[in-house]
Amino acid sequence: MFEPRAIDETLWEIPADARADMRVPARVFADSELIDAIRGDSSLEQLQNVATLPGIVDAAYAMPDIHQGYGFPVGGLAATELPDGVVSPGGVGYDINCGVRLLAAPLSFDELGTRKEALVHEISRAVPAGAGKDSRHSRRGAELDRVLTDGSRAVGGDDDVERTESNGCLPGADPAAVSERAKERGSGQLGTMGSGNHFVEVQRVEHVFDEVAAGAYGLREDQVTILVHSGSRGLGHQVCTDYVRRMDAVLGRYGIELPDRQLSCAPASSPEGESYLAAMAAAGNFAWANRQEIANHVRAAIGRVLGRKAADATRQVYDVAHNVAKRERHRGRDVLVHRKGATRAFPAGSGDIPSDFRAAGQPVFIPGSMGTSSFVLAGEPGSMERSFGTTCHGAGRKLSRTAARRQIQGADLRRQLEEAGITVRSPSNKGLAEEAPFAYKDVERVVEVVERAGLARRVARLRPIGVVKG
Amino acid sequence: MPYRWVDHTAELELHIEAASPTLVLQEGLSALAELYDGATGEPETHELALEARDLPALLAEWLEELVFLAETRGFVADQAGIVLCNTSVRATVRGKRGEPRPLVKAVTYHGLMFDRLDGGWQARVVLDV
Repeated sequence: MFEPRAIDETLWEIPADARADMRVPARVFADSELIDAIRGDSSLEQLQNVATLPGIVDAAYAMPDIHQGYGFPVGGLAATELPDGVVSPGGVGYDINCGVRLLAAPLSFDELGTRKEALVHEISRAVPAGAGKDSRHSRRGAELDRVLTDGSRAVGGDDDVERTESNGCLPGADPAAVSERAKERGSGQLGTMGSGNHFVEVQRVEHVFDEVAAGAYGLREDQVTILVHSGSRGLGHQVCTDYVRRMDAVLGRYGIELPDRQLSCAPASSPEGESYLAAMAAAGNFAWANRQEIANHVRAAIGRVLGRKAADATRQVYDVAHNVAKRERHRGRDVLVHRKGATRAFPAGSGDIPSDFRAAGQPVFIPGSMGTSSFVLAGEPGSMERSFGTTCHGAGRKLSRTAARRQIQGADLRRQLEEAGITVRSPSNKGLAEEAPFAYKDVERVVEVVERAGLARRVARLRPIGVVKG
Repeated sequence: MPYRWVDHTAELELHIEAASPTLVLQEGLSALAELYDGATGEPETHELALEARDLPALLAEWLEELVFLAETRGFVADQAGIVLCNTSVRATVRGKRGEPRPLVKAVTYHGLMFDRLDGGWQARVVLDV
């Protein structure tokens, strides 16, 4: 294994000549402590595999929250040149348009007071959790197709839609490119959280780093916020499954050789590539509608606990995707940017972000873990210069689920969190233990690196006061 | 142990060793049943017919089918009569309905392996969770 060498204090590189099949270097944003941890699993080898993709430009990049995944490492980024560079479904992942949405409630932590427990409980009742848990209303046929085509707008109002990346709708979505099996899996899942690391978290704004940007985002110290983390559920999982298999079968036709079948891909301009991008857009739109419907459920819960006025005044700050491929223009080239556990972070002045945020830069949300802080960041110009307009997406796992369970019992973790003032609602103690805070890297260090690298800057730190797990 | 779970930072990695390819599929079913913590509801039977380009892809398809049944019908298979022919399989799977532990999103092709080795058969598959 070739050792990464430091390019500067926040960027490490494995050169393209480290392996005969690499087309570009593999680069990681990290400090010396994080890069030591990153060497501990196979994520650097996976990043070198990404560097073999036909049409990849500049480098295969990884953010400081990188960890071992499947195909791409989580925290990975690859831009392929259009029209003929490849699209890789595994480079987006199974949970297409997994992402996070932040809501700001019109009250402070003190004003919430003793009603916190009731609010967390009511949210847990309102948002179905668990992998196959159904929503109360099944959507099929034309009704589901409208969700796949329209995204957030199918279930959300103008204010929320305008404060969502890409206005909550990827262009080019085609419900006909989505299999019946995928539609069956998704039909009862709109407005449901899912399992694993998905959550709805109630928080307080613990510290504001950038008053001007926080003001633009509508955030102030001690305010209550709600962070939603979910994706495209079974529908997206099935779309990825279908197209990994389909592209695996045509690699020979396009003369593509890969070090890992999970990277299966096809030229974006090929019939397989175009069909995948149409299906991916549909699944991405389902994910945005899903987070929109969850936000609707959260507002309804707020209404029942805090009153209708509070629910109506709960604003959406923004919603960002962190598993998606998007056509963008960077450094004079049209490219397809694969973000697999990485977040778009466009800087101030970008025409692709809401006008309210244009002076501050695009909001980015970085969940930590249960028990640790999350961050609101703002995109910086360095992201356009160094990482195709991208920053990190979370803290990044450092321990396997089994290792986490070996270290703590779910019931003990639940008690520790409650003692720290965090109300917990989770259907599974086992699942809770797997998401223990010590299973994740230090989120403060991760965001410090992206700030020093000039990719994004800190705007606010959010402290959990209640968590609802899938 | 014919199947075992190997540490993976974010996902679940399953290794199987068995005397025949049919037994590899049986072990894959048992591994998923363990993940789903079983089910205690009404007994059910499903007939499956699958084919793939090669054996590793067939293993992925087999597990995907069981994940699909668990997610959409709450069905957890605990035994199967399997007829394997080259890279296609016909099977009668029996089990029960319940509320299986929600965990597996998908069966990946990452490091996917299903091959004859040292007089037996070995397989490796990573599950997205």
